[in-house]
Amino acid sequence: MGNEEAVFYSRVLTELTLSFHIIYATIGVGVPLMIMIAQWVGIRKNDEHYILLARRWARGFVITVAVGVVTGTAIGLQLSLLWPNFMELAGNVIALPLFMETFAFFFEAIFLGIYLYTWDRFENQKKHLLLLVPVAIGASFSAVFITMVNAFMNAPQGFDIVNGELVNINPIIAMFNPAMPTKVAHVVITAYMTAAFVLAAIAAFRLLKGSNHIYHKKALYLTMKLGFVFSIATALIGDFSGKYLAEYQPEKLAAAEWHFETQENAPLVLLGVLSDGEVKYALEIPFGLSMLAHNNPKAEVIGLDQFPADEIPPLYIHYLFNIMVFIGMWMAILSALYWFGINRGWKRVSSRWFRWLIVLGGPLSIIAIEAGWWLAEVGRQPWILRHIMRVEDAATTSGQVDLMLMLFALLYLILGIGSIVVLSRMFRKNPVEQELEDRHMEKGGDLH
Amino acid sequence: MTDFIIFYAPFIILIAAIVVAFLVAPMDGSVNKDE
Amino acid sequence: MNLEIIGITVLWSFLFGYIVIGAIDFGAGFFNAYSLLTGKERILTKVIQRYLSPVWEVTNVFLVFFFVGIIGFFPKTAFYYGTTLLVPVSIGVILFAIRGSYYAFETYGSRGHKGYSFMYGLAGLLLPASLSIVLTISEGGFIEMVDGHPVLDYWVLFTSPLTWSIVVLSISATLYISAVFLTWYANKAGDVSATDLLRKYGLIWSLPTIITAGGIIFELRRHNFEHYSNIQTFWLLFLISFLMFIGTVWLLWKRRNYGWAFGLLAGQFAFAFFGYGASHYPYLLYPHLTLYDSFTNPAMAISLIIVFILGLCLLIPSLVLLLRLFLFNKDYVRGKDNFHV
Repeated sequence: MGNEEAVFYSRVLTELTLSFHIIYATIGVGVPLMIMIAQWVGIRKNDEHYILLARRWARGFVITVAVGVVTGTAIGLQLSLLWPNFMELAGNVIALPLFMETFAFFFEAIFLGIYLYTWDRFENQKKHLLLLVPVAIGASFSAVFITMVNAFMNAPQGFDIVNGELVNINPIIAMFNPAMPTKVAHVVITAYMTAAFVLAAIAAFRLLKGSNHIYHKKALYLTMKLGFVFSIATALIGDFSGKYLAEYQPEKLAAAEWHFETQENAPLVLLGVLSDGEVKYALEIPFGLSMLAHNNPKAEVIGLDQFPADEIPPLYIHYLFNIMVFIGMWMAILSALYWFGINRGWKRVSSRWFRWLIVLGGPLSIIAIEAGWWLAEVGRQPWILRHIMRVEDAATTSGQVDLMLMLFALLYLILGIGSIVVLSRMFRKNPVEQELEDRHMEKGGDLH
Repeated sequence: MTDFIIFYAPFIILIAAIVVAFLVAPMDGSVNKDE
Repeated sequence: MNLEIIGITVLWSFLFGYIVIGAIDFGAGFFNAYSLLTGKERILTKVIQRYLSPVWEVTNVFLVFFFVGIIGFFPKTAFYYGTTLLVPVSIGVILFAIRGSYYAFETYGSRGHKGYSFMYGLAGLLLPASLSIVLTISEGGFIEMVDGHPVLDYWVLFTSPLTWSIVVLSISATLYISAVFLTWYANKAGDVSATDLLRKYGLIWSLPTIITAGGIIFELRRHNFEHYSNIQTFWLLFLISFLMFIGTVWLLWKRRNYGWAFGLLAGQFAFAFFGYGASHYPYLLYPHLTLYDSFTNPAMAISLIIVFILGLCLLIPSLVLLLRLFLFNKDYVRGKDNFHV
């Protein structure tokens, strides 16, 4: 039967939705923590700049949250619409974290509504900050629960299949599968990191565009510091992910690293291109892969030779791996230089070209997130549920997926442009200098 | 050791990073002084 | 009471919650857009936006809760409904996305932007229509099994009077529910002209709502006789529902007790909705799928129910806080203070 088309278009549509949603989802998970930190610093130091920073971030955040919510709903429904066979099985085993995610989302939504509409309503600022805690927790836990489902797809457990029937189902064991800790921690920490660098890029951009207000300098310094902390944690957790892969999903690691033959003292291949099955122009770090996989330069690392040809993921994931890792390292170096440089009074880190590099760091971080997710998803191929269900067996048999693909592509285009236009107009119409002045006028009436 | 790294260490790092973030966030002497 | 019934009752209640608060939301968006078109925005916009702003995201969660819950409790629905509903639900999702994001664009980005307001007003009105198709399909007769896969017959679907009556009902009920609620809300806000206008809308839309609702029961006789005769056994619920409808309209007509009017309206829809749901039992999809052959395993069912109870312990206090701060707070409702971010 001609179901290949439906499978193909289902994959493209899912990839498109996820790639679009992940931008807003990442910001949605990361930014509440940034708002919380800024507001906390503002209250502690009694510095109105940080409070205003939190307030302005919160304003922009609402727009991204709205797009994140609707695209998240889209992917939630598309899972059932495009992969009904998978969802039937998944519903039986891994529905619990999906269900929990809606509660986390619920919790976040309620308190976000309250938080947004209670600015200056409380005498005690701390009470208002307290309302943000459930928002940040809800946002992060949404990511935790939904990533548990993704982890389950990589390392399914908590059930047995006997004669095609699911038996001995244990939802808790399914949730706490071996892929879960590294994946969940990696997703959450990179969301924080990306949010910090995106906000840093905005602050740097304002400084480049003529505003020399200390508000932006504080914002930039704060976000670069946070970005540095989170990028170091990301690197560490990324290293743990390598160890998880070596232990439980060696084919994914081997394909991402172009590690063809099982060997000891395995080197780590960076960059390079693949032509006719040979790696060219690559940078080899001796013992690197053995270290990444087992923390031991002599350890044996399983190569692609151990797997049947039809169970090896596409080798282009190596490029995705490189993009992700190099951007991550680059951002760690850039933010370290900035932090160190500011403390040392280096003029160079406040120069125009350095600020342009920081601006560039915003989109780069988003690209790293995208590359990371493509690596995670393509690296699991050909499985939708590793060693249990193949992608082509999971897809819908409906014939209209291509039409839906076009409709959704149009929708994301409209939403993407719309959110950018609205956000930039929102902040251009109300620059920070203006707002600070307005607030002083208002306060002036109260104080004197 | 491997089990510890795969199952527990990621969460320890994650929580530690959040704590460190709160600790370093208020240190803004270097940008505040040139006001 | 077995696990299957508990599961479907929970889900059905959330769907009911979504239908009521979603209808308020969508109808309000439509009235807002309509008032812009007819130059009455000074009367309506303020009261509508005051209500909508803090709660819009919460509304969405009810829908997400329902479809995630149904996959959890009844995984086989993913196979039957997932395969056949690709087009109608995708269109619903697109409308939902436009509705949600343009609402945020207008409210937080550019207040009073006419283009955005029309977009979300219209999307919100079409949304119930597209989602109501799911209820139509569940009546059976539109899905054929081809090579073991369910296939939706669009021609039969779109030429059936049942489909169109349900579409009309969903739209008029949306506007009716919304108008009655907002009448109450505007009255609380002490906004006389808005109250009058919304009361008029409520009375206008009550008629098509009750006519199509009755018509659908009549059409079911031809379409799905089994369900039709089941409905007869629940005649008492539908009678109570009808009496409550009369009560709402009477109170609106007499311009009094708008709070009670909305309470009766909620009761009217609750009795009809649960009566309809109960008469649908045990089918999730006539005649292919029942509660029992689609139910998940006991381990999953019990853990879902435990999580549900724990989740409610967290949610109910939070919801009460939200309602107390915004819906039942006199100063907020009257627009005395504005603490928007």
